[in-house]
Amino acid sequence: MATKVAIIAANGGMFDAYKVFNIATAAAASDAEVGIFFTFEGLNLIHKQAHHQLPMPAGAEHFAEGFQKANVPSIPELVSMAQELGVKIIACQMTMDVMNLKEEDFIDGIEVGGAATFIDFAKDANISLSF
Amino acid sequence: MNADKVLDAKGLACPMPIVRTKKAIEELESGQILEVQTTDKGSQKDMTGWANSTGHQLVDSKAEEGTYTFWIKKK
Repeated sequence: MATKVAIIAANGGMFDAYKVFNIATAAAASDAEVGIFFTFEGLNLIHKQAHHQLPMPAGAEHFAEGFQKANVPSIPELVSMAQELGVKIIACQMTMDVMNLKEEDFIDGIEVGGAATFIDFAKDANISLSF
Repeated sequence: MNADKVLDAKGLACPMPIVRTKKAIEELESGQILEVQTTDKGSQKDMTGWANSTGHQLVDSKAEEGTYTFWIKKK
């Protein structure tokens, strides 16, 4: 059976973004079917403006240099890589309503759905992750 | 080893070597050999894992002077 990976992204910092998109792109590049449900602060990771300037955790700002030295791809690069590899991106409708966000506030090519949309995707996943 | 295609992924950090390898192998025919060159230390294990996941065959590899070279046969 092909590998299916279901990911919940519920946090909105730069480290969170790397955890989510590194795993997602690695899985997709390994021929897995991948879907990510972005909810609450996790919506930052696919917000048109916010995903270009995600905050480092307090006290970790000095790692910025390390990211450059290690030649780590930027978050926008990883996001488009993920989409190119066919990663399904689902934005949480309820959080969007609470935060007064519209579909056009997010990057192109996303789906908007509720918890049941994610559960339907994840029901036969063999890897489930939450970040 | 003779390769049908060479991918230079040196200087790239995880997960890019794997992502580039996936893209490069798509351009080959079954049975052809892809040579991948990396400098990411993690790629030594990642390339083995990627081959296990995808079914392509890691035929050979070597590490020398901080550069890792892999030969992968497309399934």
